[in-house]
Amino acid sequence: MIVWDDPVNLMSYVVFVLRRVFDFSEPVAHKLMLEVHNLGKALVASEPREQAEMYVSQLHGYGLQATMERPS
Amino acid sequence: MRVFQAHGPGIRAQFDPAEVELLRSLEEGISQTLDHGDNDDPVIQRLFPAAVVDDDEADAELRRLLRDELLESRRSGLQALVMILDRATPHRGRLRVQLVDDEPLLVLGVLNDLRLAIGARIGIEDIDRDAVAPDDPLAYRLAVMDHLGWWQEQLLELLEVPGTPTDATPDDLPGGWP
Repeated sequence: MIVWDDPVNLMSYVVFVLRRVFDFSEPVAHKLMLEVHNLGKALVASEPREQAEMYVSQLHGYGLQATMERPS
Repeated sequence: MRVFQAHGPGIRAQFDPAEVELLRSLEEGISQTLDHGDNDDPVIQRLFPAAVVDDDEADAELRRLLRDELLESRRSGLQALVMILDRATPHRGRLRVQLVDDEPLLVLGVLNDLRLAIGARIGIEDIDRDAVAPDDPLAYRLAVMDHLGWWQEQLLELLEVPGTPTDATPDDLPGGWP
């Protein structure tokens, strides 16, 4: 599950969404947000397909650009 | 003056009448775009983004699967915003409305959708903000995005994620981290 950088989403909003969707602590969500911001993307979770689809759906709902790996 | 402030069990919003008109017109624009649902429209592409990398077929399949639910949630957020604005009442030159239950979260998400839509419409990825002249219509669109972003920041300060542990460190990364 990868979250991609975006020029519109606020940094504080991305932290908020990561905490809400994945139940991350603030420091974890903040670190991942900075990785997205600085490197263009971050791996935020590795989940089986169905779980990954649910996360993609939720993240898209919040307006984050999130993709999962090709299902095998 | 802040638009959103903690008040009683929820959050109170106080808009300038011009801000309410702005929100209404942005809502109308994005609702029309959603109704048209043109897949070549950059706004649609941004609001319904790629879901799978490196596999166009799997991507198309999953996007098809997610699209209806995503469309429905975006529409219901926009409708909720309209209903909230409709019940705002005048108070000392501003329009005041109390947000209850999940409304602050809904408004936060709708503001984000509106900003994403403006950004996609003006091609924000290719804009050098420093090169935009103050009288360029783009400058106004960017200012609107910033203004709505400032509202988002106010809401984010007031909304706390419940039930998350505070003693975790950045080393406690999610499962499967390489």
